[in-house]
This record gives sequence, structure tokens and C-alpha cells, in this order.
Amino acid sequence: MAVAIAVRVRFFARLREQSGTETEALQVQPGATLEDVYGVLRRKHPALESDRKAVRGAINQEVSDWSAVVADGDEVAFIPPVSGGR
Amino acid sequence: MRYDVTTGPIDARELEAVVTHPGAGAICTFSGIVRDSSRGQSVTHLDYEAYAEMAVPQMRKIGDEIKERWPAARVAMAHRTGKLEIGEVSVVVSVSCPHRHEAFEACRWGIDRLKESVPIWKKEHAADGTYWIEGDEAKPATG
Repeated sequence: MAVAIAVRVRFFARLREQSGTETEALQVQPGATLEDVYGVLRRKHPALESDRKAVRGAINQEVSDWSAVVADGDEVAFIPPVSGGR
Repeated sequence: MRYDVTTGPIDARELEAVVTHPGAGAICTFSGIVRDSSRGQSVTHLDYEAYAEMAVPQMRKIGDEIKERWPAARVAMAHRTGKLEIGEVSVVVSVSCPHRHEAFEACRWGIDRLKESVPIWKKEHAADGTYWIEGDEAKPATG
């Protein structure tokens, strides 16, 4: 059994309100992707957005694909689409 | 160059002072102002929230892109966060260039890129409720 890795999760805007937290420490299995991390978080916080198209994941301040693998010590952020405006 | 995310009021003149220099014959400054209506509803105030550690580097990247397209340009950007009242300045982009046409173009390009790519979110407190604005969608706030 591989040792778990630790990431620091941050939520912003609507996702922060849904999760009820700005930041949390999370342990996941080595090789976990952003998709896996978000899945773990959705089980902890059932109110979190279910539509993946309305969420972006970022690793260490870079927007990343859902298939991107997280590493020990990473800052993993989940953010809504940017506000836009005309 | 200057790129800020700040909780305090933004002074557009300060950003212009950053980009001005003897070769700059034109400074174009865009100021975004909190409006009293949205989606046909009256708005009482806004809350802006930023992922500052990502927003500032993204602003810097936009500034670098402006300098690739308009090599003589100098750029300053600031976005405010927290509670903003009607009429307050939420965002300023100031660009200097030798001539006005390129200053207008570069400033417009900069604010458009900022709006579509910098991780800052707007919560509208309106007559019909409180909403997060995400692109073309207004989604009810829960916090």
C-alpha cells in the first residue's frame, strides 16, 4: 500500500460557499488526478458543484486538465469560470 | 509595469504615473465602475473575490502579451476586491504608447483579456437576490 500524499485545497467564490471552507488539507493516493481529488471533496461536501464544466482545477496556480496528476505538497484550487462581462 | 489586486480604492492617476515616460505620446486608461443595475434588476453593491496568487501572475502575462503586440507599450493594471458600492472603481487598465491608436487598441485588448482570464469573481447583490456572475450566467449565491 503506497503512502498517501498531502495536498492543500483551496476553494473560491461560489465553490467556497458550497464547500463551506476556503482551504483544507487533504490526503489522497499517489497518482490521484484533479478529477480524483474533486471526487473525494464532493463526497465530503455534497453541495459542491456537480457539473464539471462549471469548475476549473488549478495545480500550483496553473489551470490544469482534469486528468493532471497531483503531487505531494501541491496547492490544488477549484475555481468557477471567470466573471467575464461586456 | 505594475499589477495589483487590492482591497483599497484604486487611483487611476497612480497607474498612469507608472506608465508615463518621455516617449509616450498617449495614455489610454480604462476604468470599470460598479453599475446600479444588471440583468434588468437594481443592484445595491458588489463583492469581488480574487485568487490573488494566480491573478497577479495572469495580469503580468497579459502585460507581457501586450508588449509582444505593441512593443513600445507600458502597462499597469489593478483590480479591487471586497465590497464595492455603486460608482466605485473596480478595475483599471492603463497603457502608454507613442501614439493614440495603439494606446486605445492595447488598452482594450488588455481589459478584454483580463475579464476573460484573470481569476476574479463578482457577486451581485441585487433586488431579486444575490448571484455569482460566471460568464453569461448568474448563479444564486449560498453564502
